[in-house]
Amino acid sequence: MSTRKSLRLQKSRGDTTPATPIHQNFYSPRLRSSVKRNLNSSFGASEHESLSPTKLLKAGPSPAKKNEKITLVIDKKNMTCRPLFRYESSESEDDYVSRSRAVGKRKVKSPVKYTHVNVSPKKTVNKGVEELHFTPVKNKLLEKDVFYDGCRTPRTPRSSGKKATPRSTIKQIREGTITPKVQSRTKAMELDDTPLKVARSHLHVSYVPTDLPCREKEHEDILSFLEGKLFDKCGGCMYISGVPGTGKTATVTSVVNHLLKAAKTGDVPNFQYVNLNGMKLTEPRQAYVEIVKQLTGKTVTWEQAQSTLEEIFTKKAKKMKLPIILLVDELDIICTKRQDVVYNILDWPTKSITQLIVITIANTMDLPERLLMNRVTSRLGLTRLTFQAYTHKQLQEIVTKRLFGTNSFNPDAVQLVARKVASVSGDARRALDICRRAAEIAEVEGDDTLVSMSHVNEALKAMITQPKVRAIKNCSRLEQYVLQAVISEVERTGIEETVFSNVYQMLVSLCAVNGFNSVSCTIALRAISKLGACRLLLVDQKCHDLDERIILNVSPDDVYYALKEE
Amino acid sequence: MKNLSDKNVLNLRKFLKNNILNNSDFVGHEDERQQVFDLLHRTITSGESNSALLIGPRASGKTTLVDNVLRDLQPYFSSDAILVKLHGLIHTDDRIALKSITAQMNLENAVDGKVFGSFADNLTFLLACLKSGERGVSKSIIFIIEEFDLFCSHHNQTLLYNLFDVSQSAQTPICVLGITCRLDVIELLEKRVKSRFSHRQIFLFLGNDNENHLDQRLARLQKYFLVPIQQSVDIAPSFKKQWNSSVHTLLKDRNFKSLMQRLIDLDLSERSLKNILLLVVSELNNDNNKLAYDTFLRQVELFERDETVQVLQDLSVLELCLIITMKHHCEIYDNQPMNFEMVFSRYLKFANANSNIQTVERPVIMKAFEQIENLELISPLTTGNSTVQKEYQLFKLLVLPHQITEAVKKITGLPTEVTQYANSSLV
Repeated sequence: MSTRKSLRLQKSRGDTTPATPIHQNFYSPRLRSSVKRNLNSSFGASEHESLSPTKLLKAGPSPAKKNEKITLVIDKKNMTCRPLFRYESSESEDDYVSRSRAVGKRKVKSPVKYTHVNVSPKKTVNKGVEELHFTPVKNKLLEKDVFYDGCRTPRTPRSSGKKATPRSTIKQIREGTITPKVQSRTKAMELDDTPLKVARSHLHVSYVPTDLPCREKEHEDILSFLEGKLFDKCGGCMYISGVPGTGKTATVTSVVNHLLKAAKTGDVPNFQYVNLNGMKLTEPRQAYVEIVKQLTGKTVTWEQAQSTLEEIFTKKAKKMKLPIILLVDELDIICTKRQDVVYNILDWPTKSITQLIVITIANTMDLPERLLMNRVTSRLGLTRLTFQAYTHKQLQEIVTKRLFGTNSFNPDAVQLVARKVASVSGDARRALDICRRAAEIAEVEGDDTLVSMSHVNEALKAMITQPKVRAIKNCSRLEQYVLQAVISEVERTGIEETVFSNVYQMLVSLCAVNGFNSVSCTIALRAISKLGACRLLLVDQKCHDLDERIILNVSPDDVYYALKEE
Repeated sequence: MKNLSDKNVLNLRKFLKNNILNNSDFVGHEDERQQVFDLLHRTITSGESNSALLIGPRASGKTTLVDNVLRDLQPYFSSDAILVKLHGLIHTDDRIALKSITAQMNLENAVDGKVFGSFADNLTFLLACLKSGERGVSKSIIFIIEEFDLFCSHHNQTLLYNLFDVSQSAQTPICVLGITCRLDVIELLEKRVKSRFSHRQIFLFLGNDNENHLDQRLARLQKYFLVPIQQSVDIAPSFKKQWNSSVHTLLKDRNFKSLMQRLIDLDLSERSLKNILLLVVSELNNDNNKLAYDTFLRQVELFERDETVQVLQDLSVLELCLIITMKHHCEIYDNQPMNFEMVFSRYLKFANANSNIQTVERPVIMKAFEQIENLELISPLTTGNSTVQKEYQLFKLLVLPHQITEAVKKITGLPTEVTQYANSSLV
């Protein structure tokens, strides 16, 4: 008994501003009962959750509301019209827990909009079913309806009339009414006129060709998997792995595009496509928000998003019409210690309410066994696909296919690039970048030059070679002596790590041998910290005295080579 | 008359300092500059997305180069491009960096430089914005990221991944130019980020391999010091002539050349040269209104001096004696650590043997020992271990023997016994 009392006390304290208690005492019981009556009369009990507080208000018959207003006017002496809205919000929070705090807050701040939103009658009819199909465009329409609505008392619309306040902008962004855009340029851009420029723009990694060469088999595999799932109307998972730059995302995207085209003609069942990238999220739970955003166009908090998705995928009443294909890129970022997000994403396909097909992409082949928990691995299933790194022949084919129609490249040059890249990583991006650089080098000589072996060699040299030898050559004389001193100290002791006092002794004798005026400790320390900054030496970050530990970060042979040539 | 020449010297000093400090033109490294210029120019004019790294040791003119290039591209920034500058020391995590990007790009969720919404909101909105743009329609965006290596330590490298990803996909044309002094910066990138980076590295080293550093530097000095005759600097023409001729004679001086050579051998960067030049110029006054070799020599000696010796010279005799005692201890026991008791007993032997040395109380010596510790001439071996009493805590000496001899040589009026004690070897 006592606990309940205290609870109520707490509640009233928390819910109200200092001005409101009187008001609540007077009106709240009666209002509550009236609203509840309205609710029971107009809606089925099963629809409780789908109702927002605003809808509720709207659904309520007007007489009750009019009473409200009158009482308010009477009461106006000691309080403004605020209590009305306070009442609404507290009431709604009591009855509909699922509404988030954020929404409640916003409503309190700018109540005008909310009471307005409910007006458009056509939306409310099928809202329960169609809620998830809102597109931004529809939202815009809705906004218009709000402002041209005749029967309301004219009030100055805050968000449109004056300059938009930041808070209203945020609200619009969250609702998806503002479409994000970049400023557009004022002048027209230069066109690709010379063959080299055309070649360069075709060689850019962003230029994705219509069909991907050398990935026909993988394309076929993914296509048959997706088609099978779509026709069978069941959910499923697939795991794709491969080192970066082997065309995983590009292949999946092209398959999905192919399917979308086919869906338009009716060859395959229609579906929705959601695309998720782990690296583009600030934290794993934002995955829910991103999925909901792509389904509905609205941004909500992750808790809300999670419950919405739970409803879609597990509750019978909220069945979506269309199957969903979900692509999860960079899966390993979403895996945290708890793995709740990845578990949920892989668990939904097994519940057969709404059809969900999940394709996951990551780099390592054994990620499911290494990183994921057993129950997650088992849900991921065994439908797996590995993208091998490109061989030099495939790389050559990719580049030549992109250059189709422009004969500005020497075929041998392309082969050289392909062989070099295939021997290192088999990364298609790398090969394309090197070719593009070679084209740039050739362009300096003239617009119509053929890209030859020498250009490619220069590009390879710039992009693959190590800069350390050049860096050592360009050090000052003292710094070169320091490097030599470290090497001879390492050779003397046989241990890789040396301390400054020993290096300094060696440096002094080296200077004496070479006829170089001896330097003080301060200068020597300065030189060492400079070498440490560009990582030719590894030095202690903490102490800078005689016991500073120094490790050579280049091979001694590099130093000898760099210093000998002079 | 005197007043007039006074004014001349003042104006000259002002002119020279301004010339040395606020000199923003970029000399040398034509290839590298052209490469950076081409890169940015292509991004702006033909909407090509790019990424590159500018790598070079500290004080090699990386920022100067970029600023120089950006100044040439200035006309584009009002119409066709947006410039976004980030710095690793200011934007210490992705959250702050993202807010700054949003504000600098002037997106919808930023009002007067203040950015609204959470981190996740900002990222999604920025990516959506960049995705909505396309080649040829939207403005190019140029990201200049200084201290690029510090961005590699951010959580998951989210920002770098997203920027590089945009630069490799058909979205808004952007150019990401990282500036760093670490040669191995590419190894800091995660494999996905590394794959998206275009591997275009532009190296900027201090010297060019084949050029003569000395000639280059003398030319640079000439540029700094010569006062143009035509330009309207408020100095009397006769004084200008006199000054310029003094500069010419100095630059031809052999001693001066060897001094400059020495400076080049020690440090190639122009920043250390500028520091010395500023000090030299500050010394110009009415009586000393010529550029003299002696002033340079003094400044270079100041530049080269040993700081520890300087500290040793200012010690009291007692403190110096203690240091000498410590040196002896190190020599005998081969750099073994010592505590106060060891030093004290060894010092007492010395003090008792020489009647001229005033005997002082133990607390006074303890005080002197603490003073030495505060100067960090000795450092405790274990830190934070409070169980050991002060007298028995172990220390190591941070002074080299030759520094002590040097200091003893330089101090005037040191008692003979102390000098002898310093020079005596106990081994």
